[in-house]
Amino acid sequence: MTVLVVGETVDGHLVAATRETVSVARSLAGGPGGVVGFAAGAHARAGAGEFGRLGISRVLVAEEGRLDRAPVAATAHAVALAADAAGADTVLVGGTTFGRDLVGRLSVRWKAAVSSGVTEATRVEGGIRVRRPVFGGRATETRRLTGPHFALALRPHAFPIPEETPGTPQIDTIPPANLPETLFAPQRTALEGASAGQGPSLGDASIVVSGGRGVRTAEDFRLVEELAASLDAAVGASRAVTDAGWRPASLQVGQTGRSVSPQLYIAVGISGAIQHLVGMVSSRVIVAINSDSSAPIFRVADYGIVGDLFQIVPALTAEIRRARAT
Amino acid sequence: MPDFSLSPEQESLRDLARKFARTEMAPHAAECDKNARFPEEIYRKAFDLGLMNLNVPAEYGGSGLGVFDQCLIVEELAYACGGMTTSVIANCLALEPILLGGSPEQKQRFLAPFCAEYQFASFCLTEPSSGSDAGGLRTRARRDGDHYVLDGEKCFITNGPHASLYTVFATIDPALKHKGITAFVVPRSTPGVAPGKDEDKMGHRASSTSTVRFDQVRVPVADRLGAEGDGFSIAMRTLDQTRTPIGALATGIAQAALDHAAGYSLKRQTFGKPIAEHQAIQIKLANMAQAVHAARLLTWHAAWKIDHGSKGTLESSIAKCFASDAALHVADEAIQTFGGYGYMKEYPVEKLLRDAKLTQIYEGANEIQRTVIARELLRAYA
Amino acid sequence: MEIAVCVKPVPESETRLRVAPDGRTLDPEGVKFVLGGYDESAVEQALLLKETVPGSTVHVLTCGPSPRAEEVLRASIALGCDRATWVEATAPLAADPVRAAVAIAAVLRSAPPGLVLCGKQAGDDEAGLFAGALGELLGVPDLGYVVDLRWDATTQRFRFQRVTEAGLERWEAPLPVVIGLQQAWNDPRTAKLPNILKSRKAPIAKFPADPAASTSQSVPEKFELPAPRNGARMIEYKTPQEAAQTLVRILREEAKVFP
Repeated sequence: MTVLVVGETVDGHLVAATRETVSVARSLAGGPGGVVGFAAGAHARAGAGEFGRLGISRVLVAEEGRLDRAPVAATAHAVALAADAAGADTVLVGGTTFGRDLVGRLSVRWKAAVSSGVTEATRVEGGIRVRRPVFGGRATETRRLTGPHFALALRPHAFPIPEETPGTPQIDTIPPANLPETLFAPQRTALEGASAGQGPSLGDASIVVSGGRGVRTAEDFRLVEELAASLDAAVGASRAVTDAGWRPASLQVGQTGRSVSPQLYIAVGISGAIQHLVGMVSSRVIVAINSDSSAPIFRVADYGIVGDLFQIVPALTAEIRRARAT
Repeated sequence: MPDFSLSPEQESLRDLARKFARTEMAPHAAECDKNARFPEEIYRKAFDLGLMNLNVPAEYGGSGLGVFDQCLIVEELAYACGGMTTSVIANCLALEPILLGGSPEQKQRFLAPFCAEYQFASFCLTEPSSGSDAGGLRTRARRDGDHYVLDGEKCFITNGPHASLYTVFATIDPALKHKGITAFVVPRSTPGVAPGKDEDKMGHRASSTSTVRFDQVRVPVADRLGAEGDGFSIAMRTLDQTRTPIGALATGIAQAALDHAAGYSLKRQTFGKPIAEHQAIQIKLANMAQAVHAARLLTWHAAWKIDHGSKGTLESSIAKCFASDAALHVADEAIQTFGGYGYMKEYPVEKLLRDAKLTQIYEGANEIQRTVIARELLRAYA
Repeated sequence: MEIAVCVKPVPESETRLRVAPDGRTLDPEGVKFVLGGYDESAVEQALLLKETVPGSTVHVLTCGPSPRAEEVLRASIALGCDRATWVEATAPLAADPVRAAVAIAAVLRSAPPGLVLCGKQAGDDEAGLFAGALGELLGVPDLGYVVDLRWDATTQRFRFQRVTEAGLERWEAPLPVVIGLQQAWNDPRTAKLPNILKSRKAPIAKFPADPAASTSQSVPEKFELPAPRNGARMIEYKTPQEAAQTLVRILREEAKVFP
């Protein structure tokens, strides 16, 4: 069965969330041959080129520039046309704000069975089975979708990005659809990139890196922030850190602070007192780095490193930067 | 009362109180306790949401709730802070004499403008030499033409320094004992009304308590509630109404103590396991839970009886007495569960003990409650 | 301006999650269903617009079973919504955001509002699909993840921002439009006690869900809670670099969290 992967581009490059869909697309298509890419907007061709380097040999493009500044509703029309043109039964997209909204529109536009935030997707008799976190990550649901059409927005950070290999795709243009003008009535008037140093908010972040008293000084807390930046993660802190005034109280994770349940929570120099644990214990994966092997945090963590965080954390930051760059 | 479930309306009221308590009161409870700060901004929000003047009928601008619904709200507020709750509900205590003893004209004249604005009222019965012995109060009310002249000193008056209105109990003749006691409504602006400074209290420190002196205060006859000599009855009937919500207040404190202790016991480990797995703690928690459940149900039953037309003196005395004793004991055991940490002000449980203590003393000391219970009880055997 | 707000009853955030006996869904026994945080922001936005745009009314709608559907409508009325519509549907149907959108669209189509407001996602399934489906059904564009929504009476357009991965987007949109609001950027009001009491007696228009629209393409198979943790797997290493490499490999291959 053919799978259409919808690309989302920023400055002409496919975003990570799109790249993460490729492995799932291959598995649902039963092989790389059944995967067709789609890109829209002014940078559609550039995005199509990058699809080629991800092993996708055919890309459909809708090159109307005004799609970039229009609501996703307009792109959804083009996606539905492309999916039909490709003979696809499934549309996959990264579960960003763009992707989730697209899938919502496709549920009606393309009469698709839909799901978002998907962390697993497999073909089953008569449909597709998906798994996804619910209740802020405190539970997981498995659903069976029945077709004939499917549209899935995959949860970001949940799938690997394939290595790039040289390749040029066959690019076919989707003829401009007769899109109703009402879909273009809302207009984007400006785009301001996320300001440097401002990571995702604690509440929304897929990854949180928190620092505790073990970090020793306000200046050294930057080790935690650098690790967070390397992961595009949100920064959190234990109460000891915020009480000491090293960082603002808005970063505090714990009983009297924020509760978070990201995919990955890294606790640096945090002992794991109850007050902190209640704020993060429902995270999907917890990693603890602490010099004290009997620190309570290791009881709730999935993986632990006992050692000097002043050595471990910079090494981890460097390794993550290296791993992401390749 | 066979159906113990709450109606959707009651659940909404309780949820409103709970949300207010958890989001507005709880975050400031420790700080107000430490600094003995009267949090005007929190009380103002309570007023805006309709959480003050609960007992005043809607036609006069109050919320018009029966005792049961008041108890649902009071327990939720007290769960967050007993002291703030005392100040919030003090208006109910102060205005009840007007509801019970006032003429329709007085109710309209006093209650409607009072409830329309954020302000406090205080119930002035207790004096330096008469608390439980309310009949022995000595504040004089001397008739002078179409006025009474009040002279005397009241003490331990909740919201004393902040009130704009006082309901005051004074005697026209000490020789008449309780038959001389008469009730008056006295605006703060009346010359001679002098609230004292804030007392430095063991608990309920977010609430304000002071003496109030009445120094040759001239009160128009039109501001007397009921007839001369009606005051003692008005006071006692007032306390009949307000006693049960104190049971709810104590229950709220006890529930908070239980929740803290139970939560802690699941996390704190000794001898290789959570202390909740040690029998000593299990038995403690079990006893605490029994006390909290019983306090709540006794309070609910008393409230239900009063709302259904009964005077409810026996039930409300039992509820107040039991719930306040329970709150003290449960708070004490909560501290014990926390061990050394429970003794530290950084942890929330020692405040609960200090707040619980007052519930055994005010609104009718538990010794008096017991004599009332005995009296009511023995009546059945006479 | 005719404003419609779509809300969904969701388990309150402190709910202790339990698996239903059939293993497929959350056990609703003892669960309290409330107006979730995202929906509170949507209702608040509707009420703010009503206060600033003269002649506006707020119509709150929900799709779901009794009593939870009725309760969130009454909660919304207590906050200040002018009228309420309840599309009665079973819990499984209402749990499918596309079916819920079909049900709500059937009501709105007869008198389409200028603005439809929703929360960015529901507090339980967090799918974020309802606004898109509803917009498509009504033939109206939708914009999600909106903050700072303002009505410009001179241009007769909304001006707002969207917080997306790309950063901050600025937008303008005329009516009709469907807007999905980001949570808690506005400060939802609390219903006052007298309004709570009044809301109990407010009328609610009731519609049955169209049975023809009742087959969901998404069926729950399993609802699982995470296994309790047994203690960390400690990573052995000789150098910090080795520890870092091992951890990154484990995160990618075992934990499947891909930094």
